[in-house]
Amino acid sequence: MNQTAQILSIYAADTSGVCSALFELGGMTVIHDASGCNSTYTTHDEPRWYRGSSMMYISALTESDAVMGNDEKFISDLTEVANRLKPEFIAICASPMPAMTGVDMEAIAFDVSHRTGIPAFSVKTNGMHSYIPGAANAFEEIVRHFCEPAERRKGKVNIIGATPLDFSLKGSVESIKQWLRDNGFEVGCCLSMGCTLDDVRAMSSAEVSLVISSTGVKAAEYLKREYGVPYVKGVPIGKSFSRVLADGLRSAAAGQEASPLALRTGESIMAAVLGESIFSASMAAALALDKGISARVIETVGESDLSVLSPFDLSAPDEDVCERELAKHSLIIADPLFRPIAGKGRFVPLPHEAFSGRCFERDIPDLINRELTFLKETGL
Amino acid sequence: MIKLAIYGKGGIGKSTVTANLSAALAMLGKRVIQIGCDPKADSTGNLLGGTPVMPVMNYLRERDDEPESIEEISKIGYGGVLCIETGGPTPGLGCAGRGIVSTFSLLEELKLFEKFKPDAVLYDVLGDVVCGGFAVPIREGYASKVLIVTSGEKMALYAANNINSAVNNFADRGYAKVRGIVLNRRNVENEEQKVRDFAEKTDLPIIADIPRSNDIIHYEDMGKTVIEGDSSLEVSKRFLALAQLLIDEDEQND
Repeated sequence: MNQTAQILSIYAADTSGVCSALFELGGMTVIHDASGCNSTYTTHDEPRWYRGSSMMYISALTESDAVMGNDEKFISDLTEVANRLKPEFIAICASPMPAMTGVDMEAIAFDVSHRTGIPAFSVKTNGMHSYIPGAANAFEEIVRHFCEPAERRKGKVNIIGATPLDFSLKGSVESIKQWLRDNGFEVGCCLSMGCTLDDVRAMSSAEVSLVISSTGVKAAEYLKREYGVPYVKGVPIGKSFSRVLADGLRSAAAGQEASPLALRTGESIMAAVLGESIFSASMAAALALDKGISARVIETVGESDLSVLSPFDLSAPDEDVCERELAKHSLIIADPLFRPIAGKGRFVPLPHEAFSGRCFERDIPDLINRELTFLKETGL
Repeated sequence: MIKLAIYGKGGIGKSTVTANLSAALAMLGKRVIQIGCDPKADSTGNLLGGTPVMPVMNYLRERDDEPESIEEISKIGYGGVLCIETGGPTPGLGCAGRGIVSTFSLLEELKLFEKFKPDAVLYDVLGDVVCGGFAVPIREGYASKVLIVTSGEKMALYAANNINSAVNNFADRGYAKVRGIVLNRRNVENEEQKVRDFAEKTDLPIIADIPRSNDIIHYEDMGKTVIEGDSSLEVSKRFLALAQLLIDEDEQND
């Protein structure tokens, strides 16, 4: 059966992706949805919810408001709360109900911005896509609204696509920043873990952007198109691929094309790496270079950046297709929730918060620019 | 770019006016897209020689998957006009307004405008703005001007007034503005005066006066517009004049 999952979990939804992308930036994010509880989007999918505050709200849409098209209630609530809280910006996004009834979220944002004088924008969601387009649209909107022209700074690198959904609070993002410094780069805006709107404003001053998740591709493309900032996709996993990626950043900064993830070969494949495409392709590259293990990517979200996949890789968001493909591999690296369909191959759990939430958070390793020791238990 | 939404009471001749206007714009050298936004999916038939294009909603229903190219859900008609129909769900089921939202979202994903690069886009919309879905064509990014088609019949003028009020309700949202009235004559008593009174009351100009003509029916039976059938006819000249007016306005705006 297509688009069905009997055993597997599903990835966090686009609305969760928006909340995660905008969590630290000082704005007010409001999901137009029934209920008054935002637990689905934040407490379940957002580990930072327990460590700090963020203005994340639900509109508490009622059946009557939806049927009658009572946009004014939403607009006046947004206006009242924004006038009281004075957020840096207002971001609104749609759950399935307003998406179904065709609520014009852009017009509502326009109206609220007009009434409050606070920048407001709509992030395109419908509650039925994965976190990737949600976070990607949010990153693009925030860059589009706040990035300003600035003088280029030699060696400055943006990191784009950082959310706990892909990089839990286990030190990976800090390690990426340290790895950049160790390679002589200046760390620019890390969108958006540990950055401010001022950092976003100065993103155009970077020499190059490092895109560490599919969620960052749209914003990186915008920066390239509008400000001429090139970008390189990849996560510095393992020792050798980290060096290749650092060289890629230097090449891109010098105006040359750089695609470190395209260097993989598909010879004698034994392993499969499952998950979001940029992280998984980086892991596959690291396995080849550090361990001599040839691996293919099985992209399981269905909405990752498929351009980083090689012909021997596969996008298999459907459970039965994924299960069939996994039977071909003797080593599988994936979130623990994939284990029931992993067949007889050796299974190496690598938790992914966008898939299994905080269930296995404590087991998420920091793999940045270090030996792939998490494979030791398997004897590799 | 000319971006027009054509509204009016059901059966008043919106599709006839839209198709003839598309054909006239094409005859004047413009690259045109016509999008029928009515579940009946009968907007573009007279541009296509009577062989209809598969409506987008039919495609989605039958294939259970989205098209990967514009070509799968469009047909080139008279004068190179690209014809698309949203269609609708199975009658009595689903949500027609949502069908329009889905279709427009799909056309955006397929990068219709970037790929086809039209000079003019015409949206032929269901009689009344009954829900949010039917207001999508007048949202920002789609139509910038609305034409209301009416005759002198009481119910047609009633619907025209409703449409004008609905569009005015969205004034602070940056939606399309009503450009004017197209009088599509049915030869009712005091027709011109009734429509002029309405135009005066709503402060809207009558920008075209289409005479009742058997030629329209004659060529429609052949799956054609009068522009294609005989562009020298008086009724054809009226459509060509309206097309030229819109072209001139668009060029002035540029």
